[in-house]
Order: sequence, then C-alpha cells, then structure tokens
Amino acid sequence: MKHPQAYLKAGAAFICLVLGWWLWQGAEAVQQASSLAGPAAHYVSNAARETGAANIVAAILFDYRGYDTLGEATVIFTTVTGIAMLFARSKYRKSSTGLSFIVKRGLSFIVPFIIMYAAGIVLTGHLTPGGGFQGGAVFATSTILFCIVYGSNFEASRIHPKAKEFTESAGAVLFTVTGLVGLVLGAGFLANASAGFPTGEAGHFLSGGTIPILNIAVGLKVGAGLSTIFYSMVKFLEVKVVAPVEGDET
Amino acid sequence: MSTVLYGFFCVFLILTALVASEIEDILSSVISLSINGVLLAILFVILQAPDVALTQAVINSGLVTSLFLVAYSQTEKQDLRRGDDKK
Repeated sequence: MKHPQAYLKAGAAFICLVLGWWLWQGAEAVQQASSLAGPAAHYVSNAARETGAANIVAAILFDYRGYDTLGEATVIFTTVTGIAMLFARSKYRKSSTGLSFIVKRGLSFIVPFIIMYAAGIVLTGHLTPGGGFQGGAVFATSTILFCIVYGSNFEASRIHPKAKEFTESAGAVLFTVTGLVGLVLGAGFLANASAGFPTGEAGHFLSGGTIPILNIAVGLKVGAGLSTIFYSMVKFLEVKVVAPVEGDET
Repeated sequence: MSTVLYGFFCVFLILTALVASEIEDILSSVISLSINGVLLAILFVILQAPDVALTQAVINSGLVTSLFLVAYSQTEKQDLRRGDDKK
C-alpha cells in the first residue's frame, strides 16, 4: 500500500520541478527580451497618445479592454450578492467590544492616512500604478480594521450595511452609464477618445477621458463589496460563538 | 545582484508554499500563505510590475488572510486536521 503513494509523490515532485524549471526559463526570457511584438508594441507606442493616460496598464484595463473589466466587476458583484444572501438569515445578536484603549486610539490616528492613501490610489490611477481595484481594496481594509479593533457593532453603526450595498450598486451603475454614453454618442460601448471624451495631456491630473471616472466607479464597487463580504462573515461568526454557550447552559 | 536577490526570494517563496500546504496546523498554514503573498509582491516589484504588486500585497496579505482567519475561527477545528484523515 505504501509503494503506490511513494510513486505518486515522486511523480508529483517531478512535475513540480519541470514546471518550475519552465517558469524560470520564461522569466529569464522575459528579462532578456529586446523587442515587443503584436498588440504589445502598439500599446506601448500609442497608448499615451490615444487615451491620454500616462499609466499604460490603466489605459489597457479601462480603455482597450474596458469590457473585460466590466466582466470582472460583475464577478465581484455576483460574489458579494451571493455571500450576503447566504449569511442574511443569521440574526445579528452580539458584537465584540473590541480591543484595548491603546489600540483604539492608535488606530484612530492611522485610519485617516489609510483612507487618504486609498483615495490617492483611486484618483491617480491613470497616472501612477494603482487604480480602482487596488484603492477599493485599501478602503475595504480600513473598514476591516474598524471591525476588528472597535467591534462590528461600532462599524455597522458608523457605516450602515444598506449604505454599503447602495454604494456598490452606485459604482456598478456609474460604470455602465459611462459605457452607455459612448454607445449613445455613436462610438460603441465603453468607447473613450473615439466617443469625443477629452483626453487631455498625458501626465496631467485631468486626463485620460473616461478612465478616472471608471476608476472611481470600480473603487466604490470593490471597496463596498469587499467590506460587505467581511462584515457578513464576521456577523455570522459572532452568532456562532454565542450559540454553543447557550446550548451548554440549558 | 538582481539575480541573486531574485533567486533568494524564489527559494523562500517555495519554502513558504511548502509550509502552507504541508503543515498540520491550519493557523500556521494561513500565516505562511500571507508571508508567501508578501514575498510574491516583492518579486512583482523586482520584475517591474507595480500594479500587480499593489493588488497582490493588499488582496493576498490583507483581505484573504483576514477572510481565512474568520473562516478558521468559525469552523470546527478537529475536522480540518489533516492527521485525522490518515488514521
């Protein structure tokens, strides 16, 4: 009985080594590549002129491949809806009181800077690395810190769960309406410069046409969505912790 | 210099991945996965992909770890130990 498992493990290790060697060769090839081919060459040479965005990654995500980004946002929306529906039937009973006074005061000094950092990532997504998805995730991290340090009751009293759901839906609607404006202007869904949006000058804050708007939409959506997921799970957790204690007493 | 640093991070990435998949304790596994995410983010910076590195750092080290910890603390501990399967 032992020998087949040993062969299986040896085979798995061999496959891992071969795949790792392949990946290493690929990374070496990418580092030594001297010229670009296909769409990559077009993007690198024309993205700043065609879209007005200095960050080529943002230009590809929100202009050339805007439809794919809408699909990704829909995936997150579906996930959040499913998780919120799954945990909606558990009743909210008791919240933790949070950590000690020192941690609470310390967090209250840090959180404004975290929120400013997140807003900076979202608003300058077309100039520097970052964008709506990353900034929204940092927003969600700040609400998760509130949940852990102050207790989820405090967090829910400051930002109501309904407000989060509204914010997420508002992000989705903003993204779709921005795409529909391009369609109405006769250039196609999620069209940017070809629909007549002013692209500005690459490197300026007001540039990139629809890219900053879509960044804000995705930031709203991801931030509200991820914090809704965490709040739903924590709410469920605190019910589960209370329940066995009641069962032991009776 | 860059290749040495690259290889160093790659070796540690493999080590943390092995620890995350093979260790018995699930809490240690989750923490090891978080360290794996941080190392991967540093590697992305070395490979000049700051956008992906930012996503990796925030999502894998912050959000996924906290979600895993919440899921860990609300499930039954005994059923998830890998040692129980082998008995």
